[in-house]
Amino acid sequence: MRSSGFKLAAAVSALVLGLAFGVWAEEGVTDTEIHIGQWGPQTGPAAAWGSVARGTDAYFKMINAEGGIHGRKLIHHMFDDAYNPAKTLAGVKELQEGTGMFAWVSGVGTAPGLAVKDYLMERKIPWVGPSAGSLHWITPPEKYLFAVYPLYYIEAKALVRYGVEKMGFKKVAIIYQNDDYGKNGVKGAKEELAEHNMKLVAEVPVNLTDSDLKPHVMKLKNSGADMVLLWTSPKHAVITVGTSKAMQFSPQFMSTSTCSDFPLMMHISKGLWEGVIAATFAELPDSPHPLMQKYKKDAFEKFAAKDERWGLFFYAGIVFAEPLVEGIKRCGKDLTRERLVKELEGLKDFQGISGKIGYKPFDPNDPSCRQGQNHSPDG
Amino acid sequence: MDMKRDYYEDIRFFTSGVTVFWFVVLIVFLSAFPFLVKNYYVYVANYMAINVIVAVGLNILVGYTGQISLGHAGFFAIGAYGTVTLMTSAHVPFLPALFLAAGTAAFFGFLLGLPALRLEGPYLAIVTLGFGLTVTQVIGKLDFFGGRQGLHAPDLVIGSWNLDTDREFYYLVMVITVVMVVAVRNIIKTRVGRAFIAIRDADIAAEAMGVNLVVFKTLAFALSAFCTGIAGGLYAFVLRFIEPEIFTLLMSIMFLAMVVVGGLGSIMGSITGACLLSWMDLQLRNILSFPHVGTWLESLSRMYFSITGVSNIQFILFGGIMIAIMLFEPLGIFGIWIRTKKYWKTWPF
Repeated sequence: MRSSGFKLAAAVSALVLGLAFGVWAEEGVTDTEIHIGQWGPQTGPAAAWGSVARGTDAYFKMINAEGGIHGRKLIHHMFDDAYNPAKTLAGVKELQEGTGMFAWVSGVGTAPGLAVKDYLMERKIPWVGPSAGSLHWITPPEKYLFAVYPLYYIEAKALVRYGVEKMGFKKVAIIYQNDDYGKNGVKGAKEELAEHNMKLVAEVPVNLTDSDLKPHVMKLKNSGADMVLLWTSPKHAVITVGTSKAMQFSPQFMSTSTCSDFPLMMHISKGLWEGVIAATFAELPDSPHPLMQKYKKDAFEKFAAKDERWGLFFYAGIVFAEPLVEGIKRCGKDLTRERLVKELEGLKDFQGISGKIGYKPFDPNDPSCRQGQNHSPDG
Repeated sequence: MDMKRDYYEDIRFFTSGVTVFWFVVLIVFLSAFPFLVKNYYVYVANYMAINVIVAVGLNILVGYTGQISLGHAGFFAIGAYGTVTLMTSAHVPFLPALFLAAGTAAFFGFLLGLPALRLEGPYLAIVTLGFGLTVTQVIGKLDFFGGRQGLHAPDLVIGSWNLDTDREFYYLVMVITVVMVVAVRNIIKTRVGRAFIAIRDADIAAEAMGVNLVVFKTLAFALSAFCTGIAGGLYAFVLRFIEPEIFTLLMSIMFLAMVVVGGLGSIMGSITGACLLSWMDLQLRNILSFPHVGTWLESLSRMYFSITGVSNIQFILFGGIMIAIMLFEPLGIFGIWIRTKKYWKTWPF
């Protein structure tokens, strides 16, 4: 009798304890801290994107300096994965199983992101704002994955509509990087042109390793295009523009947000970038927008390293983290992952320094419920 | 060191009761490992084991046959893509798919072995380098392989066993690794292995002794590629996502570094080399969170490098360690082991 009573007491107390933990302790959240993880290449082929993670870091430090969120400080754990998916997965597992992250933010690159996506989603860990405009994030949509980056596909549609309707171009061609990124651009351009009963006059693929683009530009020139979409890396975009000038071919060039860091593009093209129209996912560096001014003054100037540049990639780190911070704010004192997901789903026309962001309640058949900057091409 | 008096002494697996003891200890340790550590370290162990298979395979070629390859990432990619596409497109179960893919890699290894009959040293290095780069380019062009967008690995199911955790996958990887290592060790101890070594030491003399260079050189390439293909197939399931950009030249060079740092022509050397380098590859970034050393390195990099230098420093350390090993111990880690063993041989007197 006595022993069974003891067992019962033990079972009840275990249950109570378990419940208590279940209710009160969310992984990565304490009374004073919220742990957020992020990877970003500081070395390797994509190191130029490393400033994204450093931007987020400065942004979080700014928030902490202002008193944190409901008394909690954001503890930012970032690590260098050198754009190597095996290292991304290793770092994510180490931080998640060691310190325990409440959520993940940004994270540069399609391949590194896809290597950790299943791991995070199986564990129901929220991940906001992967830094790559890939369709992979929302096909199929995942309950805990919130995309912020506009789709390259939508960007292409918007640019084509602008070029055809507003600027009256008749012959549209595209030069694109031969991968996911470039093909999304082709897809968007084709669909938008079809709505105007038009077709691409030339589709020219470029490989990442190509360095001489004369044959490519020749094809564009022979097509007689008056508008050319540059869906390539910044380097290739600049080479295309330069080669075209040398070959006396001067259509209207339009490019993606990837090539929208104008000071950088003007610098590497030695001024040739003048006159190119580019889509962008956020305000421009010298924007008078009050939030931009604030971030520049309170985050960049106070917390960024001395050699850091106030460029698109740096504040992209802020763009990707803004919805997460807003979601955490809306949760109030009672912060759990489920609550965060609910609050993010409730975002509607949230305005930070990018386009307006909104999500919808989770629907496995509707990719747009997890695509933040998902406006009609006019947006 | 140990004088061998007859053939059977050379080929037997355990040279003494002591080696039996240590082998049993090793197997018990490997079986218990996942229960002793955090899941993250199980992942690290899986990553290491896969590199061990590659290093042991590459060692057949570089260490025993005296050829060189800067293109093993290509075989690795063939193994990975072969396994995944066979499973998703042809619905072949995992193990047969893995071996078929490794067989394909071996076939390409045989093809690459053909120019090796006429080329040596730097020339061979360039040919293999070209091969490694070509494979990823070709795969990237074919939509069948997902092109540049990559492929997702399907669920890993063997019979009715669904291996969806790192711990379950660990046992699969470990069994395959142990089998592969023992198999390679046995091949090296046979006529084939002795032919490889003869080719390495003097190929003309070997041919004069009756070693068929065409057969054995291509065989060395094929065997090496087979091991690498197996490892590649497993790697696809570590990442669960593969794309051509993963299999870079840097990867091939890392494989070669593992074999050289570990010690050429030694299986134990390859194993330690692979473990050490993959460990450093994953863990060196943590050096910045080390007390004292970390802050010192950080201030050093702030002084002399750009802001991204903070993490570049891990590569400098990595390179420094490799240079130090090569400089002070040309035989690699295995050389250090031999010397230590010799030193203690007469202990306690």
